[in-house]
Amino acid sequence: MSRVDDEILDHDYDGIREYDNPLPRWWLALFWFGIVFGVVYVPYYLFGPGPLAAEEYAEEMAAAAAAMPEKKAPSETDLLAAQKDESRIARGKETFLKLCVACHVADGGGLVGPNLTDDHWIHGGAMADVVQVITEGVPEKGMISWKTQLSPDEIVDVSAFVKSLRGTTPANPKAPEGEKSSGP
Amino acid sequence: MSTRLDTPSEAPSDAGLETFAYDDAIVRKFVVATVFWGAVGMLAGLLAALQLASHHFNLELPYITFGRLRPIHTNAVIFAFVGNAIFAGSYYATQRLLKTRLYSDTLSKIHFWGWQLIIVGAAVTFALGITVSKEYAELEWPLDVAVAVVWIIYAINFFGMLKTRREKHLYVAIWFFMASIIAVALLHVVNSLAVPVSLFKSYPVFAGVQDALVQWWYGHNAVAFFLTTPFLGLMYYYLPKAAERPVYSYRLSIIHFWSLIFIYMWAGPHHLLYTALPEWAQALGTAFSIMLIAPSWGGMINGLLTLRGAWDKLRTDPVLKFMVAAVTFYGMATFEGPMLSLKSVNSLSHYTNWTVAHVHAGALGWNGFLTFGMLYWLVPRLWRRKGQKPALHSVKLANAHFWLGLVGIGCYVLSMWAAGIAEGLMWKEFDADGRLVYGTWSDTLPTLFPMYVIRAVGGVLYITGLFMMVYNLVKTAQGAEKTDQIAQAAPLAAETAESEHKSHWHRLLEGRPLRFTIYTTIAVAIGGALEIIPSLLIESNVPTIASVKPYTPLELEGRDIYIAEGCYNCHSQMVRPFRAETERYGEYSKAGEFIYDRPFQFGSRRIGPDLHRVGGKYPDMWHYNHMLDPRSTSKGSVMPAYPWLFEDALDLSLTATKLRAFQIFNAPYTDDDVRDAEKNARAQAAQIAEGLTKQVATMPDIRDKQIVALIAYLQRLGTDIKAAEGSAAR
Repeated sequence: MSRVDDEILDHDYDGIREYDNPLPRWWLALFWFGIVFGVVYVPYYLFGPGPLAAEEYAEEMAAAAAAMPEKKAPSETDLLAAQKDESRIARGKETFLKLCVACHVADGGGLVGPNLTDDHWIHGGAMADVVQVITEGVPEKGMISWKTQLSPDEIVDVSAFVKSLRGTTPANPKAPEGEKSSGP
Repeated sequence: MSTRLDTPSEAPSDAGLETFAYDDAIVRKFVVATVFWGAVGMLAGLLAALQLASHHFNLELPYITFGRLRPIHTNAVIFAFVGNAIFAGSYYATQRLLKTRLYSDTLSKIHFWGWQLIIVGAAVTFALGITVSKEYAELEWPLDVAVAVVWIIYAINFFGMLKTRREKHLYVAIWFFMASIIAVALLHVVNSLAVPVSLFKSYPVFAGVQDALVQWWYGHNAVAFFLTTPFLGLMYYYLPKAAERPVYSYRLSIIHFWSLIFIYMWAGPHHLLYTALPEWAQALGTAFSIMLIAPSWGGMINGLLTLRGAWDKLRTDPVLKFMVAAVTFYGMATFEGPMLSLKSVNSLSHYTNWTVAHVHAGALGWNGFLTFGMLYWLVPRLWRRKGQKPALHSVKLANAHFWLGLVGIGCYVLSMWAAGIAEGLMWKEFDADGRLVYGTWSDTLPTLFPMYVIRAVGGVLYITGLFMMVYNLVKTAQGAEKTDQIAQAAPLAAETAESEHKSHWHRLLEGRPLRFTIYTTIAVAIGGALEIIPSLLIESNVPTIASVKPYTPLELEGRDIYIAEGCYNCHSQMVRPFRAETERYGEYSKAGEFIYDRPFQFGSRRIGPDLHRVGGKYPDMWHYNHMLDPRSTSKGSVMPAYPWLFEDALDLSLTATKLRAFQIFNAPYTDDDVRDAEKNARAQAAQIAEGLTKQVATMPDIRDKQIVALIAYLQRLGTDIKAAEGSAAR
């Protein structure tokens, strides 16, 4: 089946012979394409208009910020209503059992994090304070910010559940920490 | 030309022919080692695959947790399985291509036993957590020295044959073997440069971003010069031998050889795209990766087109089946690699299972299948039956092995492609409110689970095929003779000026091994030198950050525990400048943050989340609980538990020496810091332990346990930059 242009060389290595076929044209094209690509690519990014990683990032962040729906903080009345909404408390409980138990324990008695059932609050016990702490976190105390994992509504749900824990009796309550607070 | 005969007595003694025997005994040894370590390495891989499907497979045994098992798997398949296959294949082929016996029987034996001892040493030290954590270069310094010594012995034994050869010109297979030997020596030595602090611990002379650049120059070119070029050498011998057809194109061999070895060495930075590596190096990495497609495919088409006129043999001959599939996988992998080096593709694929799919298409398809094809061809020739043509015990079984192996690779690669793309997309997915849909890491795991199961099934199929081969080869060898093949050839004639004149320049070069070696060395040295040396010397490549300070003695010990446990196998420490990453982890990583990181811990895979900004994110108690039982803090996590870190004593006997080593490099530790290293470490440990017992009175005191150091390190990670937000880079 060998083609006519096969030219056999006088090479013989342990019985292995060699043709001297010309390079396939498509292969040569690919070879030159690679070189041209390289010659254009490097200056395009280093000296030309190609964006550096930091520029790309700034653009991405700006675009995301522009596209973001305007955030309106839940009003006082919304927060009060949420605390009385059993379905929201139930949803909040679900999230709490998934994400918060590692530090606050399922019954809210506290372990790494503070006891959530007593009247004492380190960062304020009002519903708005709880929402704030969950949203932004208190990094120096180990409370992480949940705003990237939970939606504002979900955070209100969890806060409502946390507030509903007040006065319950956990199995191993952690000693009270922070100021006494009796706000709504 | 030479004639080969079965017994020396039949050899005609006239015509100035010399009669000699090839050293086939050593090839047989390497063949057995190839098969043995192949089985070990692949079984280790299967166990690692199962561990990702279910953490129970870690068995809570420190020696085989994923972080220690993965290096055992990768080193066993690369350096033990493929390594022994290279030695077997190159020794068999080179003796015959040069018409000479191996240079020294003694060196051959030292080479063989030395390499096997290193492999055993590697397995034992990795299981014990003795590692430098640089991927595919994890060996600690005494074994690194041993590797260098054995490699030099291989080189002497190989290049010695060039001196005693009876064939004037070097065949293309020899070029590839030569380039491999030179390049691997260069890569290994530079990447292993380290300052020892004990027999089992050393720190690399490069730090942070520079260490990463050197490591991936090495890592990428270990793929090039250990897994690719030696195997092209094997392909160029065994494929035309098995097909009994001439090689398609001599000039293609020349062009793709030189372009391949030159360009490969530049492409390493494509492993570090979007990291803190200087952008000029990243751009070179991408550019040279695209340039690599044609040289790589030159090898593929020279292999495939050699089969013109022999395609019918493919139906019946398992050797050719394996080889054709191997070369095809080579073509696929060398196209996929450059695609993964494009920034846009890499931003999705990096850290995911896509990379795992890519390397296994290469390892199982190209290296595995070419080795199997070679073994099926070699074993009947190394274990000969008197008066019979070399033949396999069962061609049918070998064909079955082929199909089983192919389906196995299919399961593996397809499932990991799917898993990789799924992961990459999940990590980046935002909802309409601008929050990460998979903000909780473990939410991505249920999607991956079925893929991990399919991958493991693929592995089982592939390994089943391997054991079918073992049976087949054993049966083939049983009762056969183990003799050295006898050959005859005339010694090299003195050069005649006239014949030289007519030859093409490259043909002349093929007759001058020394010059060929020098040119090859230059070709492989340029790329690395032009990327690494400027990055070491020019300060602007790593802009200083004033607030970045060296680790405390306890944190340094914790970091060494992190390294010993192989945490880098699952956790990166390199936040890339993407919204999806900065939202999830925090500020993206800067080059100046890593100047005291020896070795760097960027990682290459995110089986778990990135840890560069984990410092201060969780309280100490969280880490305590998480390391003891990862599922208690992260539901559904696949991370192994580390109970031994809570039992094993924290060893501070080397801490002062370690600080002194860092003092030699660039860390501004004072002599007092060195003297008080142990005292300071104990003080910080006590502080952390007391903090924990204060929170929960029933807590055991961990001040002298390893876990306390690990917590100290994790809490420090990525925090220095926060200390001076705003006034950071100067």
